[in-house]
Amino acid sequence: MQGTKVVRPFPFFRAGARASQPQLAKPILVLEDVYKFFRPDEPTLRGVNLKVERGEFAFITGPSGAGKSTLLKLLYRELMVDEGRVLFCGRDIGRLTDKSIPFLRRNLGIVFQDFRIIDHWTVFENIAVALEILSMPQRLIRSRVAEALERVGLNGRGDEQTSNLSGGEKQRVAVARAIVPEPALILADEPTGNLDPHLAIDILTLFEEINSTGTTVLFATHDHSLISKRDHRLISIDEGRVVEARQGLKDWPGSGIHTLVG
Amino acid sequence: MAFTRLWGETMDVKSAMTRARRGLREERRLYVVAVSSLAVAFLCLGATLLGVTNLDAAADRWGQSGRITLFLKDDADPQDVAQLRVVLEGLSDVREVAHVTPEQAKASFLEEADVGADLSALPKEVFPASLEVSLVNGVTRERSESIATRLGQFRAVSDVESYGSWFQKLDHLLWGARMLAAGLALLVMFCVIAVIGNTIRLAVARRRQEIQVMKLCGATNGFVRGPFVLEGMFQGFASALLAVLALLAGYLSLHESVDSTLAALTGSRVVFLGVWTWLLLLTGGALIGAIGSALSVRRYLSV
Repeated sequence: MQGTKVVRPFPFFRAGARASQPQLAKPILVLEDVYKFFRPDEPTLRGVNLKVERGEFAFITGPSGAGKSTLLKLLYRELMVDEGRVLFCGRDIGRLTDKSIPFLRRNLGIVFQDFRIIDHWTVFENIAVALEILSMPQRLIRSRVAEALERVGLNGRGDEQTSNLSGGEKQRVAVARAIVPEPALILADEPTGNLDPHLAIDILTLFEEINSTGTTVLFATHDHSLISKRDHRLISIDEGRVVEARQGLKDWPGSGIHTLVG
Repeated sequence: MAFTRLWGETMDVKSAMTRARRGLREERRLYVVAVSSLAVAFLCLGATLLGVTNLDAAADRWGQSGRITLFLKDDADPQDVAQLRVVLEGLSDVREVAHVTPEQAKASFLEEADVGADLSALPKEVFPASLEVSLVNGVTRERSESIATRLGQFRAVSDVESYGSWFQKLDHLLWGARMLAAGLALLVMFCVIAVIGNTIRLAVARRRQEIQVMKLCGATNGFVRGPFVLEGMFQGFASALLAVLALLAGYLSLHESVDSTLAALTGSRVVFLGVWTWLLLLTGGALIGAIGSALSVRRYLSV
């Protein structure tokens, strides 16, 4: 990213708090024996153990309904773990109070399959909202949004109405909104699910560029054509359990791609 | 940057105002309907307050231009009556004293009475002689009562009429009008809270996706609520302002024609709401609007 780095105003779940050196040295994300139940006898996640280091890019994959979105929802505290712990920068996010959750989310960039873009807002307004929440001055918001637009390839299109954009462009706006506050971790929940294969590769490349600047990216997808094109770490969820491969399909322990995505 | 506390959460007022402006622009049709309905409610309250203000002014005026009638005994000594007149004229509260003989009283009664029967055969003894005492302006009702009590002790006086019972009736009327205004104010308050609450509920429903996006980006409840509270405040203020302006327009266009009739009937002129009253209407409108909106957002904002 070009331009000056701005220190995030709320790095650690409390207004004004700063991350200490020991906190920065810890893995960005640790899941310890995590269980999530929607039905008492049938856990969606069963004993998930996972460690994600800073700056990693990891695919989260598995068949539809395997628990990919559930896992991500636990990370941004839309859902609570039923058993186990989720540690973000060493802090157990399951123990956060309702008032602290916004400060956790300010450290995360979240991108969805359905974009979650406000159609009657302009591109600028859709991205700026993530900075307005941080009470940033307008001048800084303008320069940061312009930078984000440049990074996602929508340079100079801030005044356009988002309803006029294509699906791929809308997803780029969503990515810009996620990266503009410079979060520590980006959670992408099937971000290419509504895009054609060519645009999907573009969006994946965009996330890889973001990752190359040091931002950790968790990219949930069940699109095996995307997974097979890259050698990123692979975290597969099936029937609530996690199987991992450090270098994509190259060292996948299973019998092939079909065991990954069903 | 200006911050304020809203239910224990920090709200950036400047940012909230910017977003409230956008909300008002986007939901203008909904808000125009709400403001118009509320303006009618405020107009009813304002009209009642205007009635109370004018009744108050009339009562005040009548109360300060007091009159006492001293009915004289049939066998009153003319010297006693003359002495009584001297005493009365010496009082600083008394403006004028007129002696009304039984003949004058009968003539005046026959002139004013319109009962449709010939009452000229009534004997003049039916109409006692009296002293009509006009008090100077500004004499309070209590003072007038105290003068009447003292005058009743004179030997020549058989009875004293200070019109206290009439003023009591006027007081009852005023009390009733004030109660009506208070009841109406309460009703309007509930109306405003209900209408603004429902309008904001609709706005929350229509902007659910916006709210969801903001919360996923890390917005606090205070940040999300802020613009809705300001929008409710604006609706309350705008409704009250519309009502005050409509009342003022009505007052300006009608007061000249009503004034002469009222002056002939009651001796007082039509007055508009006092500055404090309409300021109270405006600030009350804004405050109730904010409360209605905040209650509604608190209840329906569960994203």
